[in-house]
Amino acid sequence: MSKEDIIESGLREKLAGRRRQEWRKALRQEVSGRIRLQIPRHKMPEQPPARRIANFLEVNLGYSLDIAREEARRCLDCGEPGCVSGCPVAIDIPTFIKYVEAGEIDLALSTIRETNCLPAICGRVCPQEVQCEKNCNLVKAGKEPVAIGHLERFAADYVRQQEEPVTVSTCGQARSEKIAVIGSGPAGLTVAADLAHLGHQVTVFEGLHLPGGVLTYGIPEFRLPRFILNQEIKLISDLGVEIKTNFLVGRTATLSDLSQAGYRAFFVGTGAGLPSFMAIPGENLAGVCSANEYLTRVNLMKAARFPEYDTPVPVVKKAAVIGGGNVAMDAVRTALRLGATKASIYYRRSRIEMPARVEEVKHAEEEGIEFNFLTVPVRYLGNDKGRLTGMVLQRLTLGEPDASGRRRPVPIPGSEFEVEAELAVVAIGQSPNPLLIRQVEGLQLGRWGNVEVDPSTMATSLEGIYAGGDAVRGGATVILAMGDGRKAARAIDQWLRRC
Amino acid sequence: MTRVLLSERLVPNIFRLVIEAPEIARSARPGQFVMVIPDEKGERVPINLADWDRDRGTIDLVFMNLGLSTRKLARFKPGDSLQAVSGPLGRPAETGCSGHVLLVGGCYGLAGLYPLAREFKKMGNRVTFLAEARDENYIFWEEKARKVSDNYWKALRADCFASGEELEEIIKRLKNNSPDLSRVVVMGCSYLLYVVSTITRELNLKTMVNLNPIMVDGTGMCGACRVSVNGQTYFACVDGPEFDGHAVDWPEYFNRRRAFLRQEELSLALFLNRMLD
Ligand SMILES: Cc1cc2nc3c(=O)[nH]c(=O)nc-3n(C[C@H](O)[C@H](O)[C@H](O)COP(=O)(O)OP(=O)(O)OC[C@H]3O[C@@H](n4cnc5c(N)ncnc54)[C@H](O)[C@@H]3O)c2cc1C
Ligand SMILES: Cc1cc2nc3c(=O)[nH]c(=O)nc-3n(C[C@H](O)[C@H](O)[C@H](O)COP(=O)(O)OP(=O)(O)OC[C@H]3O[C@@H](n4cnc5c(N)ncnc54)[C@H](O)[C@@H]3O)c2cc1C
Ligand code: SF4
Ligand code: SF4
Ligand code: FES
Repeated sequence: MSKEDIIESGLREKLAGRRRQEWRKALRQEVSGRIRLQIPRHKMPEQPPARRIANFLEVNLGYSLDIAREEARRCLDCGEPGCVSGCPVAIDIPTFIKYVEAGEIDLALSTIRETNCLPAICGRVCPQEVQCEKNCNLVKAGKEPVAIGHLERFAADYVRQQEEPVTVSTCGQARSEKIAVIGSGPAGLTVAADLAHLGHQVTVFEGLHLPGGVLTYGIPEFRLPRFILNQEIKLISDLGVEIKTNFLVGRTATLSDLSQAGYRAFFVGTGAGLPSFMAIPGENLAGVCSANEYLTRVNLMKAARFPEYDTPVPVVKKAAVIGGGNVAMDAVRTALRLGATKASIYYRRSRIEMPARVEEVKHAEEEGIEFNFLTVPVRYLGNDKGRLTGMVLQRLTLGEPDASGRRRPVPIPGSEFEVEAELAVVAIGQSPNPLLIRQVEGLQLGRWGNVEVDPSTMATSLEGIYAGGDAVRGGATVILAMGDGRKAARAIDQWLRRC
Repeated sequence: MTRVLLSERLVPNIFRLVIEAPEIARSARPGQFVMVIPDEKGERVPINLADWDRDRGTIDLVFMNLGLSTRKLARFKPGDSLQAVSGPLGRPAETGCSGHVLLVGGCYGLAGLYPLAREFKKMGNRVTFLAEARDENYIFWEEKARKVSDNYWKALRADCFASGEELEEIIKRLKNNSPDLSRVVVMGCSYLLYVVSTITRELNLKTMVNLNPIMVDGTGMCGACRVSVNGQTYFACVDGPEFDGHAVDWPEYFNRRRAFLRQEELSLALFLNRMLD
C-alpha cells in the first residue's frame, strides 16, 4: 500500500493509536534505540547445502522463540514505519513485531491475520527485499533491515505448533448471496476468506484436483512445505468457504451456467498459467519442457517419488534451465535434487537484472547451481530418436534500457556455442490462462491477454465480475495477488449491498 | 472422490466404467475427454467421453488395458471411488453438416466415436462407421453404433497392424462409390490415426484425427501435450484433441509420445509384480 493509501484509509491513525498503548511505550523504553541498532540481524537457520540437495525438505528451518524475540528487539517501533508502506496488504508490522518481542505470539499472529490470511506462506515467499524490508527505517540508518518475513513466518509456525487449534470467527451478518470465486490461488483464497469474514456464502472453483494454484503446483516443497499450505487452506475452508476442485469453469460449467445456478458475483483469479515458449528449432524435442510441466509433475503429482507415485519425471545428469526468475530457480534446484550432477541457469540478462528473490539466488549458488548470464538458446539439438542432447546458445551484451527500464540484451554475432543437456526447462514467463477469460463475451482484455480492471475496485468491464492476481497482472507475486483479492472482496461486498 | 456405478469387460483388453459425474454429463460434448486419477498415488490419465446420461448424471469411460493406469482402472468395481475425475476437457469435435462422414475407430476409439456418430447423424449427415480390430472378438458396441450410423463396416486384420492395406481398400472403395464423402474422423491408437491420414491424404479427403499425446494437467497449463500442426505448436488438451491429420507432424508426435517409455515400462512391471505377490 502506498503512503497516500495508508493516510486515506485511516490506517495511519489506527497504527499511531496502537503505538501509544502503554505496553508499547514500556517496551520502547526498556531498551534504547542505540542498543537496538547494535544488534546484528539474525541469520535464518538452514539445512546445510550438501545435505539439502539430496532431499526435498524445507531449506529454511525457522527461528526459535528466543531468536525471534531477539530479532524483534531490533525493530525501533518507528512513529513513521516505512515497512508498512512497503507491504502490499499493509500489515501492521510494528505492532506484530512488538508482540513477538513481548512473547505474545498469538497476538502477533492475529495482528498479521487482520490483513493477511496466508502468513505462513507470505513469510516464506514474499520478495521482502523489494517490499517491507526495503522500506524498513533501519536501512536508512545503514543497518540491515529487520527480518520481517522471517518473523511473520515464525509467528504463523509457532502458533500452529501449539496444542490448541486456532479458532476463526466470521463477523458480519450471514447473507444469502452466493459468490463464485474462480481459481484457488492466493488471489482467489484471499477473496474467499475476506468475503466469508463478511458473512457471504462463497464457493471456490478449482480446475485441478488440489487447491492452492501456483502454491501447490509451482513452488517446491523445499521452499513451501505442503502441510503448511494445507493448514492455511483448511483455515479458510473452516470459515465456511466451499472449495470445489476438479471444476474447470468454462468447461465443467460456463459463467452463465453458474449465474443461472444463483451465483450473483464472480471473482476471476485464474492466474497466469500459460507457459511461454521461444519458438526456436527443436523446441518440441522430447526433453524440452515448460517449467510448469516439470514443476507440476514434481509438486502436484509427486513425481520425485516415482515409482511409488505413478507420474514420472525426467531424471537426468545434465539439466539446463532457461530464465532468471523464481520459476527458473525452483526448476533448477529441483533438477539438482532429482540427481543432476550439472544443473545450470541460462539467463539472457546479467545478474543484477535477475527477478528472482535474493534468498533463492543465494540458496541456489550455495547448492552449486551454475549460472550463465547473457546467453540465450537459439536452437535445441536432438538425436535420431527425437530426444534432446544439447543446445546452441548465443552470447548477448546489454544495450539501451527497454520499456521495463532494464537494459535490453543484444545478440553478439558469431558468438554461438554448444552445451550438452538431456533436459531443458523453459522458464521464460507465463501469460494469463486464456480458457475462461476469452470465452466470456464482453470481458475487456488488455494487450497481453490479461483481464482489464478498475485498479481501485478490481471490477472488470462486466457488472458483477471482478478479477485480480496474475490473471490481471501477468506473472506477479503472491502478495500482490492477495492485495488484489482484499480489494476485490471489499468492492464485491459493497456492490452486493448496493443492489 | 467419484463413485463407480458399473464396470465391465467389453472385449479381452477393453473395459468400461460408468461413473457418477452429473456436472460433467451436463456439459459433455462429442469429442471431449476427462482426466481421471485412479487412486491417491495415481497420475492424471486422459480418457474420452464414450457416452453420458444427463438425466442419470453418469458418464461412460472405455479404455484399453495398456500400462499402469489403465490396468488400475480396470480393477475398479461398482461402489469403489476414483480419486478424481475432471472435465469435460478439450474442444468438442467439429460436427457440422458435411454430407457423408466416415468415422474410423480402433480399440477404445470404437467407443469414443459413438457420441460423434450420434451427433453427425442428428445434424443430418450420412454416417459410415468403420470399426478396425484384430478380429471379430475385439469388436464391441456394434449394436449401439449401428443405431446412429447408416453403414457399419469392419476392417479386421489377421496380425497386428500389418500394413493398413485392408483399410486403404475400404476407404478407396467408399470414396469411389460415394462422391459426397467429405470428411473422415479417426479415433484410436496413434498408429491408426497415422495410417488413415496417410491413406486419405492421397485421396485428398479431409481427415480429422483425435490425437492422444502425453498430458499432465489437461487444462492448458503445462504444454506437455504440444503437437505441431501446419508448422505451428498447439496444446492438444485445449486446442484439440481433434486436428487435421494431414497437417500433423507425425514423427515429432511419435517421438514425444515415447518420452517416458522407460518409466512407463518400469511402473507397469512393478505393478504386475505386486499383483502376482
Ligand atoms: C514456480 C513459481 C515460483 C514462484 N515463486 C514466487 C515467490 O517466491 N514469491 C512470490 O511472491 N511469487 C512467486 N511466484 C508467483 C506467484 O506464485 C503468483 O504471482 C501467484 O500465485 C498468483 O496468484 P493467483 O491467485 O493470481 O493465481 P495462481 O496461483 O496461478 O492460481 C490460479 C488458479 O486458478 C486455477 N484456474 C485457472 N483457470 C481456471 C478455470 N477456468 N476454472 C477453475 N480454475 C481455474 C488454476 O488451476 C490455479 O490453481 C511464483 C510462481 C511460480 C510459477
Ligand atoms: C485426449 C485423449 C483421450 C484419450 N482417450 C482414451 C480412451 O478413451 N481410452 C483409452 O484407453 N485411452 C485413451 N487415451 C490414451 C490414454 O490416455 C493413454 O494410453 C494412457 O497413457 C494410458 O495410460 P497407462 O498408464 O495405462 O499406459 P502408459 O503407462 O501411459 O503406457 C503405455 C504402455 O504402453 C506401451 N507403449 C506405449 N507406447 C508405446 C510405443 N510407442 N511402443 C511400444 N510400447 C508402447 C508401453 O509398454 C507403456 O508402458 C486418450 C488420450 C488422450 C490424450
Ligand atoms: S506480507 Fe510480505 S510484504 Fe507484507 S510484511 Fe509480510 S513478508 Fe513483508
Ligand atoms: S521500519 Fe523497520 S524498524 Fe521501523 S517499525 Fe518497521 S520494521 Fe520496525
Ligand atoms: S496437458 Fe498440460 S497443457 Fe495440455
